[in-house]
Amino acid sequence: MNATGIPLKEPAVSVAAGDTEQLERALIDASTRVPVLIFYTSAVGWLILGTLLAGFVSFKLHTPDLLSDISFLTWGRMRPAHMNVMVYGWASMAGMGTAIWLMARLCRTVLRYPLLLVAGAGFWNLGVLLGVGGILLGDSTGYQWLEFPSYAAIILFVAYTLVASWAVLMFRFRRGEQIYITQWYLLAAFLWFPWLYAAGQLMLFVVPVQGVLQAAVGWWYANNLLFLWFGAIGLGTAYYMIPKVIGRPVYSYHLATIGFWTYALFSSWTGMQRLVDGPFPAWMVTASIAATILTLIPVATVGLNHHMTMQGYFPLMRYSPTLRFTVFGAMSYTVFSLVGVLISLRSVASYLNFTQASIAYSHLGLYAFFTMVIFGSMYYIVPRLIGREWRYGSLIKLHFWASAYGIGLMTLMLLAGGLTQGASMENPSLAFSESVESVLPYLRGRSLSGILLTVSHFIFAYHFGLMLFGLGRKSTVPTFLNPVESEGAEPH
Amino acid sequence: MKGLAPLFLGIFGTFAFSWVGLTVIPNWQIGHLNPQSDEEGTDIYPMPQSGMVTRGARVYAANGCNYCHSEQVRAAYAGADIERKWGDRRSAPRDYIFERPVLLGKMRMGQDLANIGARAPKEEESPSPTGGASPAPQGAAASPGAVASAKAASPPPGTSPLPATSPGAIASKPPTSPGPASPPPSKSPATAAAGGTSPAGAASPPAAGPPWPEQTAGLPPMYSAAWHHVHLYSPRSINLDSNMPSYRFLYETRRISDARSSDALQLTGSDAPPEGWEIVPTYDAKCLVAYMMALNQSHPLKEVRSTGASAAASPAASPPPAPGGQPAK
Repeated sequence: MNATGIPLKEPAVSVAAGDTEQLERALIDASTRVPVLIFYTSAVGWLILGTLLAGFVSFKLHTPDLLSDISFLTWGRMRPAHMNVMVYGWASMAGMGTAIWLMARLCRTVLRYPLLLVAGAGFWNLGVLLGVGGILLGDSTGYQWLEFPSYAAIILFVAYTLVASWAVLMFRFRRGEQIYITQWYLLAAFLWFPWLYAAGQLMLFVVPVQGVLQAAVGWWYANNLLFLWFGAIGLGTAYYMIPKVIGRPVYSYHLATIGFWTYALFSSWTGMQRLVDGPFPAWMVTASIAATILTLIPVATVGLNHHMTMQGYFPLMRYSPTLRFTVFGAMSYTVFSLVGVLISLRSVASYLNFTQASIAYSHLGLYAFFTMVIFGSMYYIVPRLIGREWRYGSLIKLHFWASAYGIGLMTLMLLAGGLTQGASMENPSLAFSESVESVLPYLRGRSLSGILLTVSHFIFAYHFGLMLFGLGRKSTVPTFLNPVESEGAEPH
Repeated sequence: MKGLAPLFLGIFGTFAFSWVGLTVIPNWQIGHLNPQSDEEGTDIYPMPQSGMVTRGARVYAANGCNYCHSEQVRAAYAGADIERKWGDRRSAPRDYIFERPVLLGKMRMGQDLANIGARAPKEEESPSPTGGASPAPQGAAASPGAVASAKAASPPPGTSPLPATSPGAIASKPPTSPGPASPPPSKSPATAAAGGTSPAGAASPPAAGPPWPEQTAGLPPMYSAAWHHVHLYSPRSINLDSNMPSYRFLYETRRISDARSSDALQLTGSDAPPEGWEIVPTYDAKCLVAYMMALNQSHPLKEVRSTGASAAASPAASPPPAPGGQPAK
């Protein structure tokens, strides 16, 4: 397709809408500048810390004697530290930054009460810092993604309340009757998270449920955090960025409605499939397996919707960083869900239940899908906050390919490793240590992918730092991944 | 979409549906289980745990053991857990009613530990927690003596194998006197267990079969408290293939003041402390081992079929699985 005439900047500006609309948008962007940048900067800081932790965790898993004699560097503490830094430090903060910007834009009103957000970001950082410190010093609770000790959890909850109350307030000040698809997802995420977090904390720590139900609540929490918090923000962001960049409305509102409600209904019922064959009533696991299979409905509708919106515009991914990252993320959502269905089937799960395959699944969801979408949105939003364009297209390209190959390699290694591990584990004529031995080569491969991801994150952090210090390009043209060759392609 | 009310209602409705369905209803169904007992109200299982075991569970969670070790045995149709002799029966909700946190685990980079306590040599097996305070630590105290006798072949400096008839007896008198190394009496169960022949050592690994590592000569009887300490301190001294990191930070190296502590680890080779020093477990390490020694689901449950009748009779014994309970291989 000829790149000529493809609107690459502010494409959604209709011809009728005059300068006032653009001015209004610029005002809104300016009002979000401080809070969103605080969230983004913190997130990038946590991303780097989480990446370093991830490297240690990955290498230590196949080199157990590496740095094992120091209590806070032991594998069993660094692993939850890595997970929680990524989940609450990087993903949640970056996701909230994007969500805040999108909320202001879509409510079409300048950001009010920025202090709520600034305080929220401050408390959130404090909560994550205390939580990670607590984990490293031996205060972890042991529940997946709820490892933060309660003193950190309370601070996190206070921080969250500030951000969520801001979101609800903003919604009241919105202009226009129409509520865009992205707003459904964001509003839902902002309302689901506190309920989820409070329910998890209450049922595990305040009035703990008995016995195995703790594990059930734990996985219910972790899975819903993945779907209803990260998934909802990720999908909402994709629903904004894809049409925005290509300058074309979403293919079908009707499909989007179906996709949203089936997503809310079915994905919230998943989670127990992770406990397959465990000491639970069979109906709980079966219900979640059924729900997991039913999530194919939102996957199909959302995927179809994005695909039809993009139809004919795929070549734009050659140029637009935002589009490339976002489409990669949106496609990964489909892959993530398909893998989720596959590994939840009982026959497959009996092989993969206790193997590295479940790590592959989490990374597909949190990284290949969510993080890539968020990277895309940051490439779109940050220039609008700072008034400078990204400095080097080549760095963005490097970031993309290192991330894409990194997460691809990691997923393959962990899935293949999981299969090998599971096959030897389920063969009782082999010694158990064989199953561990069999997965080690794949874990070394995973460490290799970790190096790629580390490179990618450092490049991104460097580039983001340049932007932050005002060292971006002064230009009205966004930074493209490749030079737009054809004449007249220079967007006005 | 127009109108906020349907949106809000939908958002709350879907989430409430999931919350009620996956946490509230299960809580109503299995959230208030009681221990089981026989008709006379005796033989109660499971029992509340001692303080050291509870603390040990927190140490276990804090150091992330649950990221590599599961604590659940799947039914025979669902996996090879029972064939691997990780348990005689599948785990059931009732097994966990006193556990907090419940650490079922989602990964097996290491063995399943649901029944690790049941594999301990019989003398050391933690008695039912009715005894109150810290049953397992007694085992821990007993073990160094047992270790000493088992290790007679290559006594580390400063060790004093005590002639005693059983580790239990050793437990009552701390091994203090630095005497000349003498071979232990052959009837010592610790030694016998090391040989894997004595009935007293029946809880140690079955004579044949790969599922568990073999008893290494010169080490404490497998799955005894002393063995756990050596394993935690230096996993590869026990199993060369082990992928477990060592947990040396749970141990303290200190100068021997008067006499060797009864808790001191029996280490050889490069792990051994220099002359005049000893390595002793911290309180956390003792709690961790107490917790592991208390992990035992071998007591039969009415709602779950065990694979062998004898397994039900004697938790410590691990007979070959009865053919009836096993799927044909």
